Amino acid sequence: MRDSIYLAWRYLRHHRAKTLLLVLSLSLFLGLPLVMRAMSRATQQSLISRAESTPLLLGKKGSSLDLVVEALYFQLKNVEPITEADVDAMHATGLALGIPIRMGLSARNFPLVGTSLDYFPFRGLRIAAGRELAIMGECVLGAQAAETLGLGPGDALLTSPSTLFDLAGVYPLKLHVVGVLEPSYGPDDEAVFVDLKTAWVGEGLGHGHEDVARAGPDVVLKRQDGAVTANAKLVQYNEVTESNLDSFHFHGDRSTYPVTAVIVVPHDEKAGVLLRGRFVDAPTRQLLRPAQVVDSLNKQIFRFERVLQIVVWTVGLATTLMFVLVMVLSWRLRAEELRMMTRLGCSRWKAGQIMGSEIAIMVSASVVVAVGFGILIAQFGETWLQNLILRGS
Amino acid sequence: MISLRDVRFEYAPGGFSLDVPELTIASRTRAAAIGPSGSGKTTLLNLISGIERPGTGEISTAGVRVDRLSPAARRSFRITAIGFVFQEFLLLEYLDTLGNILYPYRLHPELHLDASVRSRAQQLASNLGLAKLLERRPSELSQGERQRVAIARALVTAPKLILADEPTGNLDPATKQQALDILFEQCDARSTTLLMVTHDHGLLEQFAQVVDLEALGTAEV
Repeated sequence: MRDSIYLAWRYLRHHRAKTLLLVLSLSLFLGLPLVMRAMSRATQQSLISRAESTPLLLGKKGSSLDLVVEALYFQLKNVEPITEADVDAMHATGLALGIPIRMGLSARNFPLVGTSLDYFPFRGLRIAAGRELAIMGECVLGAQAAETLGLGPGDALLTSPSTLFDLAGVYPLKLHVVGVLEPSYGPDDEAVFVDLKTAWVGEGLGHGHEDVARAGPDVVLKRQDGAVTANAKLVQYNEVTESNLDSFHFHGDRSTYPVTAVIVVPHDEKAGVLLRGRFVDAPTRQLLRPAQVVDSLNKQIFRFERVLQIVVWTVGLATTLMFVLVMVLSWRLRAEELRMMTRLGCSRWKAGQIMGSEIAIMVSASVVVAVGFGILIAQFGETWLQNLILRGS
Repeated sequence: MISLRDVRFEYAPGGFSLDVPELTIASRTRAAAIGPSGSGKTTLLNLISGIERPGTGEISTAGVRVDRLSPAARRSFRITAIGFVFQEFLLLEYLDTLGNILYPYRLHPELHLDASVRSRAQQLASNLGLAKLLERRPSELSQGERQRVAIARALVTAPKLILADEPTGNLDPATKQQALDILFEQCDARSTTLLMVTHDHGLLEQFAQVVDLEALGTAEV
């Protein structure tokens, strides 16, 4: 057997290019189904566990899937917002804790999540470095966001402008990084957390500027009923600091300010049932159980996996046929060698053993490559597949 | 050494057939088999070596009745008792010179490749002027060098009989004589019997016995 393996190995080594091509083809065939299966299982598990840990979600009536995907997995779906009044109303029921989620902006390609301090203990998120949010203008980074951006406490981060070509629009807000979260291996790792007010300031709903009285009379356009209209000379702040914090303010009725969704944490099971009952016939709001919604998403993943499996098996069949064809042609080209082996006294069994060793070596190498490929994919593939599914949902 | 009596062989009923009423080649003899294409020269080698089995008759090679052996025993006999030299050399490109010489040891469990065999193979290669070419591939060798590697491969198992099927057919005249000299020298040194198929009548004078397949008999030179 050792001699058969030796001859097979020497032959394969001599025909490196052909061997490499066959090994890689087989690796793909062997590795892809396993990797895709493992990835989709891990993705489903990851999606489910996050949804199951979120008891109820309140949002505008519409696509429940979009609402869950945006509020839980931080993938922007342009969900129509509800208002701050809904958060207050939820608290007023005395039945549940309401944690607002405001999405819409981003900072260097990471989603900016406006929320309350209750969010962090609710998700079991702990600060790895720095401290939690304290005042407006501060942000806490998810572990992956901090690593990718290379930022930590004491650094600053600009929100991405939502109206790049509108000079009169909302300007980026400079955020102060005060903390970095421990890795949680979920969407929180890739988010930039701010408090709700900071998110509104980022959207231009609140602002800060120098005192009109101190700026001088030349900045005042008109005064009417106690309201002052200033011209563009008035300095607007794009960063919240200790010295200008008090100048930041919101105009209008804050209860009408937008909130993407409210994570509702009922005090007990009965409270949950009562709340759900109240929203059954609500005309413009929906209170849903994310786990149920994600279940339907998982069915989509399952369908996606099935389609992928069909593709992979088809490619696999083609690869196998190609492999068989290459081997048969190779043996045909080696007919003279096989004839010589027989004439020298080699049995057919031995000749078959040599050929079998060639196949075994290639299949073994393919398994090794496939496992390596699988480990690599497992490192990055789950996040990639999760993002792919959530963006496409 | 080689004895055929009343041998009749045919590949298929009504097809090519070879009849050998009587043929004897003594030990340590240099014999040549001649005849036109299709006269059965290669078939004769196949019968003597046990690759083919006769329909009738007796074949004795190196004291063994090969016509009575089982296929496995014939293979075993062939690889231990007979060395082959082919016209096309049939060296393997994926093995170097030493690997090609030792090739028979990779093919049969009865031959054990150990340090003494390696040493013997290296000595043999050295005797054939291949000492500096042991790590070269066949494509890196000249025609003459390839033929010497093929001769070394046939001799490495120390066989009692060498069957050479037109081993000089692909060589130029100078190299041809050189290869023959080496083959004769090595066979003589090891008291090995040589039966060589050839088309080249100019070489026959160098053989002690000539088997003329067309005449279905032997002619002493």
